Amino acid sequence: MGEFNVRSDSVDVDEIMRQIRARIREKRGADYTEQELQQLAQVKLERFIDPKGIRSDLVQQFRRHAATSPPLPNFAFGEDTLYETHRGPVAAIRRLLRPILKLFFNPDRLTAALHIQSQVNEQAQERLARQEAREALTYEVIHNLTVEVTRLGIETHNLKMRVESLSSRLDFSERRARSMEGLTPARSAQPQRPQPGRQPAATAPATSPVPGAPESTGPLNAPVGGRPDAPSGSEDASGGERRRRRRRRRRRPGQTLADRQASSESSGEAGADMDRDQSVDRADDGWSDEGGDAAESGDDRGGDANDAGQSDDTSDQ
Amino acid sequence: MKIAVVVQRYGADINGGAELHARYIAEHLSRHAEVEVLTTSARDYVTWKNELPPGEERVNGVIVRRFPVAHPRDVRRFGRLSHVVFDTTHSIADEERWLESEGPTSPALVAHVRKSADAFDFFVFFSYRYYHAWHGARAVPGKAIIVPTAERDAAVGLSIFAPVLAGARALMYNSLEERALIEHVTGRTGPGVVVGVGSEIPDRPDPRRFRKRFDIRRPFAIYVGRIDENKGCAELFSYFERYATMYPHGLDLVLVGANVLPVPKHSRIRHLGFLPDADKFDALAASDVLIMPSRYESLSMVTLEAWALGKPTLVNGQCDVLKGQAIRSRAGLYYENFDEFAEALYLLEATGPLGGILGQSGRAFYQAHYAWPVIERKYLDMFERLAREPGTPMAPRPGWFARRARTARPGAEVVAAAPSGAVRSR
Repeated sequence: MGEFNVRSDSVDVDEIMRQIRARIREKRGADYTEQELQQLAQVKLERFIDPKGIRSDLVQQFRRHAATSPPLPNFAFGEDTLYETHRGPVAAIRRLLRPILKLFFNPDRLTAALHIQSQVNEQAQERLARQEAREALTYEVIHNLTVEVTRLGIETHNLKMRVESLSSRLDFSERRARSMEGLTPARSAQPQRPQPGRQPAATAPATSPVPGAPESTGPLNAPVGGRPDAPSGSEDASGGERRRRRRRRRRRPGQTLADRQASSESSGEAGADMDRDQSVDRADDGWSDEGGDAAESGDDRGGDANDAGQSDDTSDQ
Repeated sequence: MKIAVVVQRYGADINGGAELHARYIAEHLSRHAEVEVLTTSARDYVTWKNELPPGEERVNGVIVRRFPVAHPRDVRRFGRLSHVVFDTTHSIADEERWLESEGPTSPALVAHVRKSADAFDFFVFFSYRYYHAWHGARAVPGKAIIVPTAERDAAVGLSIFAPVLAGARALMYNSLEERALIEHVTGRTGPGVVVGVGSEIPDRPDPRRFRKRFDIRRPFAIYVGRIDENKGCAELFSYFERYATMYPHGLDLVLVGANVLPVPKHSRIRHLGFLPDADKFDALAASDVLIMPSRYESLSMVTLEAWALGKPTLVNGQCDVLKGQAIRSRAGLYYENFDEFAEALYLLEATGPLGGILGQSGRAFYQAHYAWPVIERKYLDMFERLAREPGTPMAPRPGWFARRARTARPGAEVVAAAPSGAVRSR
């Protein structure tokens, strides 16, 4: 995460705010503009994204409200509706008096208005029916949307967990690779430490690495069976003592393996002796460094377990 | 020179933003000119009920003449008319009805302004949106100087204000953002200057006294002002509670001011109520940062006071004025959402020197732009300039039929179309 860089002679508030936003982006991974956030808030999407936010009785509520509405009361309104009656004489009188009535007001307008109203009622009824049909579809869409979003939410959560796990494994592997890379040259340059209470190996162990084999596997794979307790074979004690002296002479502080090789070649020592000595050296190094390696790997494990809570990382060792 | 300051309310104990602004200006101008304050008998800015006796009195050495308000505000009618003029296409007559319902409706005050036009060289009207300023400026157009104290709300988009704001002799703005908004909406090109207002900053505020008196030991951020939803306090509480969860050892929040909104019960939020000025400045001096969450400010005096005391500020970036001032002064950060709020507040508390650097910039900004000699000089220069230059006539009020034509755009629509954002150049 980037550090804030503020110089006392030039405080730029905009620049600080840019740094703050960059930090937020780093934390959050994605940045919404304020407008986008407003839109999200307006549609109240969270309610559907969060399954806990959905009413448990949503289906019942919908069903209760989804019942088809009864038809609205309406009437057919024609030209003569105002004058209709089941009594014949009354109807005749009204027909006769209609022109006189028209002297007082214009019933045609009233008739027209009520006729239009009747049509409006019909249209409203149709609209209501269509709306109710749409509501059913809306419910289905919302329901499916909710299910899908919930599923996606869970999937995203799982993917996040996997990414975290993978990144912690990657981190561990990188650290391990780095420690391995640094270990081999350092070990080669390291003078042999005396091993208290332990006899030096007279010969190379059965699985001692062959010159030219990958060095990184040497210390970790060196078996305990190849330790000084193993039988020395054809070498006697005096020969071992001689070799130790020779080795002490050859190893001086600050001298590397290459230096030793160069000096031994220049001194004319036998190549076979050299190979044997190197084998012994490696076996000794492997033994003496195991504790250190174990400690390192133990640290790595601890750190890794802390980082990601992945106990299976230790199996890599 | 004789100056009349005309304002909706006035008094030593009336601490509304524009009213306090008017009082400070009147008191400071009285050192250079003969100043008289013309105001109403109202004390409450919601009802405009007559509470103070009409007539003449002296407040801090300045003559004050009060005139009665004809009727208190009918809140329901005002709300209904606000909807009509802000959100629908309407007529100028609707807007005039809205103005009359907003108040403080004091025809006596306007009549006095008209009658005493010759007695004063200039009339300084505060708050363009109220009855007294609109009618008063129309009564004495050749001598009207308006301190608009305009916020970015729908009222500034009403068509009745454009001719008055455009035709006044001069406008004394509070900020560059306010000037840009008004000039865009009204098309004004006449004299105007960004002035603002200073404050009575004590020489030696005592933070230790404040901490001891109120038993406050932890570092804290402070909010000073009315604790109201309109001031962004609900959002502040919500943000601060989340911040407190994120940073358990972070700053506390101290609130100073009367509360309209209930203050949440939280171990790290402390409400001290209304404090006298001495305590308020001690509190500001003791704080680490001032938070100003309001979205609608034409000028935040407490922000200026914090800068004067060398304190950084954290302001709501959705308020163009506050954001612009924070950027120009280099004395504060701003936020537009919770993440920015939390990061900025954490930065101000965690990066020790940053608060100090911002505070120093704020102090310098205050001295350069808001110290009293600077403010007074700007007013006096404007008076001298206006005395030299001839004025342009104000557009007359439309005729009877024109006032009733439903052609005026909704105020909110007009303001939304105006350019927004902080002005970055100093």
